[in-house]
Amino acid sequence: CKKYLDEQPQGSVSGETLNTPENVDKMLIAAYSALGNDAWITPYSDMWSLGSIRSGDAYKGGDGPGDVGDFHAYETFALNRVDLGATDNMWFRLYIGVGRANDALGRINAISEAEYPNKVSRQAEARFLRAHFYFLLKMLYKRIPYIDETIDKPGYDTVSNRSFSSDQLWSKIAADFRFAADNLPATQTDKGRINKYAAKAYLAKTLLYQAYTQDDNNNVTGIDKPKLEEVNTLTGEVIAGPYSLYTDYANNFLSQFDNGSESVFAIQYSLDDGTPFGRVDNGHSLNYPMNKEYGCCGFHVPSYNLINSFVTTGQGIPDFDGFNNNEIGKNGDYKTKSFDPRLDHTAAIPGHPYKYKPDFIYQTTWSRAPQIYGPMLSLKEAVLYDDPAFKRFPPFMSSAKNWMVIRLADVILMKAEALIELGREQEALPLINSIRTRAGNSTAKLKMTDGTATSNYKIDTYKPGVNCTWTNDYARQALRYERRLEFAMEGYRFFDLVRWGIAAEYLNTYFAKEKSRVTHLNDALFKKNRDEYLPIPLNQINFSKGLYKQNSGW
Amino acid sequence: KGKFTIQAEIGQSLQFNFVGAQSVTRKITDGKALSVQMESSNINLNEIVVTGYQKERKKDLTGAVSVVKVRDIKDIPLGNPMKALQGRVAGVTVSTDGNPGGGATVRIRGIGTLGNNDPLYVIDGVPTKRGLQELNPNDVESIQVLKDASAASIYGSRAANGVIIVTTKRAKNGVSRINFGASTSLQFNTSKLDVLNTDQRGRAYWQAAVNDKQNPNLNSTYQYDWNNNFDSPTLNRVILPEFLDAAKTMKPADTRWFDEISQTSVVQQYNLDISNGTEKSNSFFSVSYYDNKGIIKESQNKKITARFNSDYTLFNGRLKIGENFSASYVRNTLLPIGDITGLSVIDFSIIPVHTIDGGWGGPAAGMADRQNPVRLIEDNKQNKDHLGRVFGNAYADLKILPNLSLSTNYGIDYAAGFNRTIRKSYVSGYLVDPSNQVGTSASYDGNLIWKNQLTYNLALNKHKIDVLVAHEQIKVMNRNFFGSRQGYALETLDYAYLSSGSTNKDNGGGGSGNALLSYFGRVNYSFNDRYIASVTLRRDGSSRFGSNNRFGTFPAASVGWRVSEESFIKDNLPFISDLKLRYGWGKTGNQEIDNYANYSLYTPIYGTNPTGSYDGGTAYDIGGNGTGQLPSGFVLIQTGNPDIRWEDKTENNYGIDFGLFNNKVSGSIDYFTKNTTGILISPAYLAVKGDGGKRFANGASVYNKGLEFVLNYSTTINRDWNIDLSGNISTYRNKITDLPSEVLTSYPGNGTDKTILGRSVNSMFGYVADGIFQNQGEVDGSATQPGKGIGRIRYKDLNGDNIIDDKDRDYIGSGDPDFVYGLNANITYKNFDFAFFIQGIKGNDVNNGNKYLTDFSSLAPGANWGSRVLNAWTPQNTGSTIPALTTVDRNNEGRFSTYFIESGSYLKLRNIQLGYNFKGLLSKYKVQNARVFIQANNLVTLKSKSFTGPDPENPGNGFPIPVITSLGVNISF
Repeated sequence: CKKYLDEQPQGSVSGETLNTPENVDKMLIAAYSALGNDAWITPYSDMWSLGSIRSGDAYKGGDGPGDVGDFHAYETFALNRVDLGATDNMWFRLYIGVGRANDALGRINAISEAEYPNKVSRQAEARFLRAHFYFLLKMLYKRIPYIDETIDKPGYDTVSNRSFSSDQLWSKIAADFRFAADNLPATQTDKGRINKYAAKAYLAKTLLYQAYTQDDNNNVTGIDKPKLEEVNTLTGEVIAGPYSLYTDYANNFLSQFDNGSESVFAIQYSLDDGTPFGRVDNGHSLNYPMNKEYGCCGFHVPSYNLINSFVTTGQGIPDFDGFNNNEIGKNGDYKTKSFDPRLDHTAAIPGHPYKYKPDFIYQTTWSRAPQIYGPMLSLKEAVLYDDPAFKRFPPFMSSAKNWMVIRLADVILMKAEALIELGREQEALPLINSIRTRAGNSTAKLKMTDGTATSNYKIDTYKPGVNCTWTNDYARQALRYERRLEFAMEGYRFFDLVRWGIAAEYLNTYFAKEKSRVTHLNDALFKKNRDEYLPIPLNQINFSKGLYKQNSGW
Repeated sequence: KGKFTIQAEIGQSLQFNFVGAQSVTRKITDGKALSVQMESSNINLNEIVVTGYQKERKKDLTGAVSVVKVRDIKDIPLGNPMKALQGRVAGVTVSTDGNPGGGATVRIRGIGTLGNNDPLYVIDGVPTKRGLQELNPNDVESIQVLKDASAASIYGSRAANGVIIVTTKRAKNGVSRINFGASTSLQFNTSKLDVLNTDQRGRAYWQAAVNDKQNPNLNSTYQYDWNNNFDSPTLNRVILPEFLDAAKTMKPADTRWFDEISQTSVVQQYNLDISNGTEKSNSFFSVSYYDNKGIIKESQNKKITARFNSDYTLFNGRLKIGENFSASYVRNTLLPIGDITGLSVIDFSIIPVHTIDGGWGGPAAGMADRQNPVRLIEDNKQNKDHLGRVFGNAYADLKILPNLSLSTNYGIDYAAGFNRTIRKSYVSGYLVDPSNQVGTSASYDGNLIWKNQLTYNLALNKHKIDVLVAHEQIKVMNRNFFGSRQGYALETLDYAYLSSGSTNKDNGGGGSGNALLSYFGRVNYSFNDRYIASVTLRRDGSSRFGSNNRFGTFPAASVGWRVSEESFIKDNLPFISDLKLRYGWGKTGNQEIDNYANYSLYTPIYGTNPTGSYDGGTAYDIGGNGTGQLPSGFVLIQTGNPDIRWEDKTENNYGIDFGLFNNKVSGSIDYFTKNTTGILISPAYLAVKGDGGKRFANGASVYNKGLEFVLNYSTTINRDWNIDLSGNISTYRNKITDLPSEVLTSYPGNGTDKTILGRSVNSMFGYVADGIFQNQGEVDGSATQPGKGIGRIRYKDLNGDNIIDDKDRDYIGSGDPDFVYGLNANITYKNFDFAFFIQGIKGNDVNNGNKYLTDFSSLAPGANWGSRVLNAWTPQNTGSTIPALTTVDRNNEGRFSTYFIESGSYLKLRNIQLGYNFKGLLSKYKVQNARVFIQANNLVTLKSKSFTGPDPENPGNGFPIPVITSLGVNISF
């Protein structure tokens, strides 16, 4: 009779069943899949809600400040709170990624190499993925509970976010990337699988962040030169690897170039893959225009300040001090002044072709609330409505275009940054110039129907003695400006500002001027020694019953 | 109908008694034949009550058992007998919304546990958790509610939330009858939310913008002619654009969305039953048809039922074989009702229903991405859900000895659901979907119950003993699957089959099940009809618990003393016709958790629909091909708890039943305490646990106590007038008495110093709103509160640290009522009958979530707002309690605070009806009985002044509860 009560779970398996080589491999796939499982509520593939609209490069966009009000709080800083749902959600989602990597890693560790010949390289992949999610958590929240595969789930309740110092956390993350760099093959048959170069690049990125040492109040207190030396070495190894810059900058943002020569680490998306709508890029699903070819939702709008930053001097280089005295976005004049071509790769501008299609002219009516946020829209994440990768899932839409977390240009500029901070700015010059040269060569797709250039482009490399004086300070300024132009709207700008220790000054300067152009920033104020990081979500402090401690300033 | 002779002398009186009928006394005046017609009675102590595997006389009951007066509710056209019970039984709360296909939420004696609080239904001895919505209300003979553990524990495992026992009609021995009933009702809504029209919405936005000192013309929809002076703003005129969209297809409208989606609708019900009873066999057959067109256009619930109950007596009455069997077919139109009603409130009135060329209106630039609810109705009305349910049992009763019988009973409860739906392509404003999809899904739920029982009855002198020993086993299962395709050339139902689609094939399915195995016994003993005792023991095993904790033991005992049978009452206090004291104690269990809670489970999630949320999938394009079959992993969806055990509840019930003046006045008083321990819960968990953090556990303990009072008054003034009043009032208090740290954070509180321990489960936790800042002096003089300003809500600095933050939250309300009550009156005069029923609740707090829309312009900026915003605070309107309008919620006024808590008290005239009974008037047409009636439901609602929404019974934004008026007829031949 007791057998009568033996009901076996239907449609699921127990954890032990999964410890076969074949299933362990699949557990690693589940960890990979977390890379692209974000949504517009908390995008973390591209960090646009936290890295772009908090950086002075972009406005939130959408219907008005109340539309996804949590993002408005991010954009203005002063309205940010400890109990925002988006902040809690982001934390939860990123720990799901950590958890999947830990689950896979625990199983890989337990299996013998004889049974599972790929053991070490799979361990490396799992540790890379874990480090990626911790990297995002670390950038956002500073002090986080660090849990690895050796801790049992019930023990998670006892891990404080203060068990490790900020610097120790960076070292933990770096250790995972280092293991991955040491143990991954240089090439993988599966294009979506992480290789040695991706690990080296991410290790370099981690060390670069760690090199700018911070005190408990988020002040940058110094720079760790040995770490920068290592950044220099690692980035050099990646640059010497099988990668190359695309000849046209546009290729970075077109689906047909997925996994191409510039792609070091990209999140893979897919379509017609047997899932209801495809494994598409849901994190960008708000960022399309309001015209009939798309329809929603007009988020992620380039700021007037960003548009101005593409203005070049008569010598084709940036005007570091005077660029923001222009009102290019307001007056819509792209012919009188000269511009860096990356402008029209980055921003959808009224009267200019949308996404390189000459007869598909972007108009003010395509923006959601031009009176509030101006008429522009972000362009890099979008694809054309007739692109095979485009996917509609009403009211949202997105695509199966990959999203690059690290591309070669980033590695090149990381190396340049390390060299400049090491006082070797002369070695950095050709690196920065290689980026500018490519930008200058990227005008083929920026044409109107009659074949004329969309805007008046003029760009040149830095030529010491001709158009600049290449001092260490100047080089630093040039590097930081170059990063802005090259990666505008790609989601990481705010974290650059925090790394350099200039966020408060930079952003409050930005707000002071930008408030005269838009009203939605009226409340904006960056509170130094607080706003460099998000608060630990109040829910998590409550759920930890006080074990977690709030970040300083909050 | 029957005939008999009896010897009597002229001048003597004869009293006629019959179970369930009022007794009739006739004086013999001559030798002619008497014709006696008996009418059914409300109060009869010899009434047989089904109490769980047994039948008892009402006077022998020792537990808290309420008998529902089915007669009072049988004509109420709600389609589900439970919906008509709201307020009619002390201690039983029924809540429902107006959705024609919607169910009823039934709570007995408050909330005892956290998860599933639904009672157990036992229909003709077959237990089910499914409710009564598929039952024909007209088939119901009786409903009993077992409220306390001593009565319910015989049902052990699933009885912790109370048991509702339903017995369906059977033919009465010697009675052949045909009954026909019909009614038609109109239902309409009287409680819509008052929202802004196009001009008012424009004015409200203007006010919000100028309050923020922001140019009001910075918006895509409205332009304003105003004096451009922020210090003393005056609005001359709201200017509407010629067209809302760039393509010039939508002209500004003044759409009343709720009126567009709602209607006055018709409910029809018909039923026919035929019964034939003889000594050897009884049969009862019924059919019914119920068609409820909802007050939301195209919503419909259609139900056809058939029932056949029969039994055969064989071998001189030693063997009885019988069955109860019912089949129902229910069809619901699959409208996204919640979306439609919600959108009808929040969509801008400026959006036209249709474009100028007849297409769908929809949001234009500058408006939120909300669908046109009329389109949702039109594009979904062809989608129907079909449900067939068979429910019944077959049984055999063998009298082994005159006092000893063995019975076996096999029950089935199968429900099969099927639907085929089209998701049509559309263009509606900027919302566009050129793709279409057809989906088909099927599911079936099965429930097999086998029960064997042995009963022994012994009456020896003044001793009466009943013994029951039984075994019961239940297997529950569910299987379901769906398929869908896209790319349909036609969007018609005739074409909409899976095979006709060309692209994006998708399918899925799953299953689940559980089992219960029980052994139980009961002994009832009574001495001299005065002293009554009963003992129950039940042992239940559930597949949901791990092998160590599978079985739970649930004992109960009760005693009763019929004081009125004692000579000191009979001799000295003759006006007391009945007085019984009762006490019961018992333990019941609860197993309402996921079927596999004791297992850690991994499952592959190949990919999900990511619309609006996260794709928690486990597949990844590792090959970088961008398309094709993907490898997929597994993800933990639940952490098992092998130690999980039965939640159990111990209950004490003290009761008094009384009848006075020959039972003209009768009633009962019950006091109960119940202690629920190890409440099953899946606690909120730290986010670091990630996937599969969900884990069931035995958590808090809750103590409930309550009082229920029922009073009936029944009188016959003379042959013409009959008055029957029945009132009930009940109350309960609820307190958490134990709170293990594992579950602490699942309850309202801050996880550290503010916990729910010692408070009601229904406590509300938040900030205290302390009026509105009137001037800069008040703003400057108050605690630091980010976002504070003139016209904004001031929050109380509860901890006195001069900063308003999360530490200033406390317990600010409770959903527990002071008391709930009901009053039913039946008055008959000659052939007329009149009845009304009043029901109410007093002293409970509700969270009026509608205030997000009705009181704020910033919390739902893309929505239309309630008319209350027109009376918001301005420097000229300082008396208002509604904060100043603003475009941005700087002050975080959406935080849960006392601003949203309002009184949920109400009194409703639930039902009022007037009938006329033709009685014998139509006898020459062989009509035994004929009655016509008119009635109305939910006609009048009185609510607290502090409640600002339309209906405190339904404070969220659900389907409005309609007023229903009906006209009907019942005829028996």
